Amino acid sequence: MDLFGQILINGILLGGLYAVMALGLALVWGVLNIVNLAHGAFIMLGAYVSWYLYTYAGIDPFLGLPITAVVMFAIGYAVQRGLLNLIVRAPMFNTLLITFGLEVVLTYLAQLAFSADFRTINPAYAGNSIVLGPVVLPVARLLAFGVAIVLTVGMWLFLLHTRLGRAIRATAQNLVAARLYGVEPRHLYAMTFGIGIALAGTAGGLYGTVSQINPYIGAALTAKSFAISIIGGLDNPLGVIVGGLFLGILESMTTLYVGSTYADVASFGVLVLVLIVRPNGLLGKAA
Amino acid sequence: MTAILEIQHVTRRFSGLIAVDDVSFVLQRGEILGVIGPNGAGKTTLISLISGTLTPSSGDIRFEGRSLARVPAYRRARLGIGRTFQIMRPFPGLSVLDNVAVGALFGRRGGQAKLAQAREQARAQLDFVGLGGNVDQRADELGGPGRKRLELAKALAMQPKVLLCDEVMAGLNLVEIEEVIEVIRKVRDGGISILVIEHVIKAIKSLSDRLLVLHHGEKIADGEPGSVLANQVVIEAYLGKRRT
Amino acid sequence: MKRLRIAFILAALAVLAAVPWFGSDVLIQFGINAMLLAVLAQGWNIIGGYTGYASFGNSVFYGLGSYGVAIAMVQWQLPFGVGLVFGVVLAVVFAVLLGVPVLRLRGHYFAIATLALAQVMTAIVSNVKLAGQNIGLVLPPLNNDPLFYELSLGLLVLATLTIFWLTRSRFGFGLIAIRENEEGAAVMGVNTTLYKTLAFALSGVFSALAGGIHAYWVTFIDPESAFDISLNVKMIIMAVFGGPGTVLGPVVGAFSLSAISEFLSSEITSLAGLFFGVVVVAAVVLMPRGLADMLRRFRSMGWRYFAENIRTHRL
Repeated sequence: MDLFGQILINGILLGGLYAVMALGLALVWGVLNIVNLAHGAFIMLGAYVSWYLYTYAGIDPFLGLPITAVVMFAIGYAVQRGLLNLIVRAPMFNTLLITFGLEVVLTYLAQLAFSADFRTINPAYAGNSIVLGPVVLPVARLLAFGVAIVLTVGMWLFLLHTRLGRAIRATAQNLVAARLYGVEPRHLYAMTFGIGIALAGTAGGLYGTVSQINPYIGAALTAKSFAISIIGGLDNPLGVIVGGLFLGILESMTTLYVGSTYADVASFGVLVLVLIVRPNGLLGKAA
Repeated sequence: MTAILEIQHVTRRFSGLIAVDDVSFVLQRGEILGVIGPNGAGKTTLISLISGTLTPSSGDIRFEGRSLARVPAYRRARLGIGRTFQIMRPFPGLSVLDNVAVGALFGRRGGQAKLAQAREQARAQLDFVGLGGNVDQRADELGGPGRKRLELAKALAMQPKVLLCDEVMAGLNLVEIEEVIEVIRKVRDGGISILVIEHVIKAIKSLSDRLLVLHHGEKIADGEPGSVLANQVVIEAYLGKRRT
Repeated sequence: MKRLRIAFILAALAVLAAVPWFGSDVLIQFGINAMLLAVLAQGWNIIGGYTGYASFGNSVFYGLGSYGVAIAMVQWQLPFGVGLVFGVVLAVVFAVLLGVPVLRLRGHYFAIATLALAQVMTAIVSNVKLAGQNIGLVLPPLNNDPLFYELSLGLLVLATLTIFWLTRSRFGFGLIAIRENEEGAAVMGVNTTLYKTLAFALSGVFSALAGGIHAYWVTFIDPESAFDISLNVKMIIMAVFGGPGTVLGPVVGAFSLSAISEFLSSEITSLAGLFFGVVVVAAVVLMPRGLADMLRRFRSMGWRYFAENIRTHRL
């Protein structure tokens, strides 16, 4: 029973990380209708940025997250403004294809720049754990969870209650109206994508503290982020928390009771199930 | 006259909004039934319910005496229900001829098996609607009136028993409207029963044998065109209640 | 004009078929790879180009074909031909079982579902004892490149003829109708569920055959290489670059991109993959309708063609 509790806690902590991983994707997808197949690659980039900050500048990975976020925001803004804005009005498939290509480019560039070695971000306290009754809470995972929740709720509040957030949502709904609002859509799209990539990069920084990074983790993380976004539902920004927790717990349970190689199978199975039965996600409207 | 299409207490809800509200009527064999009503009255929803794109929240639709419940859209087409779309969506990558050929390939009883015969049929239908000279053009190069005729030809190529027309006269000038009316009359003379949704009141008055009026999803009048259009309730629906 | 075209194609085929006699070993190997990729591109063309359902997971069928041959030959000592059939059966069963639920999804959801499936196959197969699990399987060696070359060519011709048949058959028209306007197609009498599944299965058949031939040729497979996810990028970009929804587009795309990639990788190896990514990105922006369309319009429009594509699609 203790083991069950521990696995559950592991799942929850993992779920928080998953939530922030998917948050950027869900934002860009739900608001801009851009399906970013390179999302995982940006998570990978963010992880490397954090790694470099930690290894060469000695900046604590958690405290350095804002720097990572800013760097990734700039990259995301540039990518949207310079590239993705060029195909916004094209059929959806073109977006899929171009981000697919982007994923390949980013992965190979990372391979060239960082080599294929595995790296981790290992601050001194990373090995510590807090013991709470029968369960053990690794400090790194706990911090990652905390940051994830803060970011997700923060994003939800941002979209609903700030002027910029509302402008972003307005632009997504109606380009013409947004222009009348005085908003420059190209800039706003780039801002939104920049925020999405900043979130991805931050997730990468967190990911690096709890797992190994190498240039090839992008594709799997993209698939996972999609699963989380779809399971949680894109209509509600809090959907990623539901999706993340669900998947985190599911994977932990599957790893314990069935075997670690089946964790991915379980996630995929749930993804397909959700797509068929409840395509708008657990928090979305019934189809 | 026998009824070929029976709409029995059909209701369709969209998460809270009632688009079609307990509507009942029949389409007699060989008649032209006009359906009018202000925007948002539920007319296109009604057609989608009959063609099978949507399923009713409650009620039944019967075709030649048999219920269409659980009959998917493609099977309804094979039984003989054809429709045109209000927002004209031809198959853009295909030529005008091939657009219509799809109808011939797949219509009633599964359509033609061979492309060559389907194309022949398509040619015949295009001549019938007056597009005989445009067969090799790309479908998206046709202008508005041309597209309306294309929609009609596509539906006719299916050899339907019932034709559901969704606003085939919108945006046409008086001469073009007259031509379309002639075509529809010819279609009926060929033995097809027709349900026509229209906004152009004058046109539909002269064309229809009977007139149906929808308002906020409800049927508010059903009968001979002259009397329906003189009906106070109908006038108020269109013009709003007179304030005294 | 048409006869000239046919004569040209036949001549090209004859030249291609004759390569094993006058070409170097390197050329023959390049040919096999390029042609198998072309088969994959044509397979994708059926479901993506003609039906409009962009599958990002056809590598699954390729892998199933590979394992079909490998298991049949290694575990059950059956001949290669039987192995190929087995691989195809696996692919078709898969396409039908997973296709029916997944094809109900709209465009990008379908893409994601197939992508996720492709991701998972490696993990699943790593657990199957019959497939040699993580270690993989070693097939009986057959050192006869010219044979594999002609087999690949034959498969490519078969695939291309199938596409040609599509353009003038009731089935193909149904697929095109689904692509252009699925609701309209259904209302006109097309059984969209059946047709989509058949198209998916058909694309799976060709992918599986390509995988089977490749497995026997390289003599070794394991989950990573059999379900190689990068194949998805390659087949899609080759089909899209060459011209999706055309008969010869994917073949042209496959041959040209393979040639350029081969040239680049003789310079720096890791650049080949990078090259594909850059080509994808550039092609989507500058020539989203593929090479065929570009060649046709470039004659009348010149460089304005590219600018025009951007202008119509940009924010």
